[in-house]
Amino acid sequence: MKIVVTVKLVPDPNAEKRIDSGTKRLVRTGVETVLNPYDEYALEAALQLKEKIGGDTTVTVFSMAPESLKETLRKALAMGADDAVLLSDAGLEGSDVWATAYAISHALKKVGFDLLIVGGLSDDGSTGATPGAIAEYLQTPLVTNVRKADVTGATLKLERETDTGYQDVVAPLPCVMTTALTFGEPRYASLKGIMGAKKKTIAPLNVSELGLSEAVGSGGSKTELLAFAPPPARGKGTVVEAADAAQGAQAIFDFLKERKLV
Amino acid sequence: MKHVLVYVAHKGGVTPKVTFEMATQARKLADQLGGQAHAVVVGPGASQLADTLKTFPLDVVHVNDDKEVDAFLLDPVIDYLEAAAKAVGPSLILIANTLTGKDVAGRLVGRLNAGVCADATDFKIEGGKVEAIMPKMGGAAVTTCALRPGDYGIVTIRPNAFAAQAGGSGAAVQAIDKPAGKTYAVAVENDVEEGTGELALEEAPVVVAGGRGLGGPEPFDTLLKPLAHALGGAVGASRAAADAGWVPYSLQIGQTGKTVSPNLYIAVGISGAIQHKVGMRSSGTIVAINKDGQSPIADFSDLLVVGDAFAILPELTKLVQAAKS
Repeated sequence: MKIVVTVKLVPDPNAEKRIDSGTKRLVRTGVETVLNPYDEYALEAALQLKEKIGGDTTVTVFSMAPESLKETLRKALAMGADDAVLLSDAGLEGSDVWATAYAISHALKKVGFDLLIVGGLSDDGSTGATPGAIAEYLQTPLVTNVRKADVTGATLKLERETDTGYQDVVAPLPCVMTTALTFGEPRYASLKGIMGAKKKTIAPLNVSELGLSEAVGSGGSKTELLAFAPPPARGKGTVVEAADAAQGAQAIFDFLKERKLV
Repeated sequence: MKHVLVYVAHKGGVTPKVTFEMATQARKLADQLGGQAHAVVVGPGASQLADTLKTFPLDVVHVNDDKEVDAFLLDPVIDYLEAAAKAVGPSLILIANTLTGKDVAGRLVGRLNAGVCADATDFKIEGGKVEAIMPKMGGAAVTTCALRPGDYGIVTIRPNAFAAQAGGSGAAVQAIDKPAGKTYAVAVENDVEEGTGELALEEAPVVVAGGRGLGGPEPFDTLLKPLAHALGGAVGASRAAADAGWVPYSLQIGQTGKTVSPNLYIAVGISGAIQHKVGMRSSGTIVAINKDGQSPIADFSDLLVVGDAFAILPELTKLVQAAKS
């Protein structure tokens, strides 16, 4: 069985994000690029399934990113993925959800898979719509927010989180799934894994190999980013040292009353 | 994009408040675009819900009580929405930015070759062009995203961002035919509601959240819940509290949890690490109670009370309850 996991490379989410008010762009200087934390959970799910299924099951990591970020993918290989495919092309820059899903789905058709695991959310964009769009272009069933998975032959038994609880569903392979964070904490790369990752393949892929019939990148996108601004500044608030409980409670109550919140 | 089409997610006719927020907003947008406002509600309980929906300022509510909508994951809904979109004509499709809504939006992006703007909290229509305003990166940026001209465009809507107001002359309720010749791949064998009877965190106008400073699970029930109830809100938590097992992960607010933007956010015993901040900083008013006046939350609270939350909260709950009665 061939499991493919898509991962996105994002600015370190633990770094405070700042918008340069001059350029209206995200300040990336001094901010390291890392695997999207949500995608590490997707990779963890793939590795667990590989261990569970055994046999000749492989895990391939797929990413769409500039070639310069190639080495960041080594972390996924160090965690245990067998190989990686990196779709890089200047023509992809500025792709929106539609263009990204359109390009990625064509690339994934080329890569081939039985099970595709897509990280549920990206830390920088937080759209959450990309997995659905990819599944649609691949004409493959989609099961999102999976927290437990079992594979029997070509059938998946999955437990997924919903807005109000959970569901047990049965899906055929091939299938596209996204994982919930409750699937399992991502493992750390072992020293052996880190050493081994250096020898694993990261195969390059570019847009001209995909046979796309529509333009992608910012020009081909169906949405356009008009403004990207820092939020209205929240001035430093009031600090009250409460001498006792009654005074502290009263300070909050008066404040809420003043703002018509009670 | 001339008309507006609202996807109504529901279970047995029960729908979150954001549905009515979208139904209200759809009218305003349709008027600005010079088109009609439609809603699609399918699955068991749809007709019952349509009775409520028609009191909102929509033109047409498309209905089918099709059982297969609940028996199979997602596919039937997408087929119905595609059929409705084609029947209505070029339209802006509004979908709630919930787990289900994100899936529906994604599938429709592919099905209709449409662009999507996610998590909108406001709109601007400029010369027939739809622009959505969205807080991004956990509130570190506010973006304006325009849907380029095309037949269809999709915007997902943040719960609690728009007002819900019934009105209008009553929408027409119309049956929508089940799309023919479709097969559904993913069967739902078991659908479990874990409803605690509590208000959904993302929809709550007030959130009272607790963190490491609470020291254990009990204060969430004994201190936070009474205050949240008195204020008409819900209880949330920081990652530290969820990781410690004091509350389920479904209550976790922050980078790896939920993003909320209530009118009032009360942070109790939460230091305000980036992880938490990105999930709540677009809240209307932020009040913090913390032992440490130097904790990071001081930098983005409108009011920080330095003191003992265990003593202050019961007093505050009493004051709020007294004001209400």
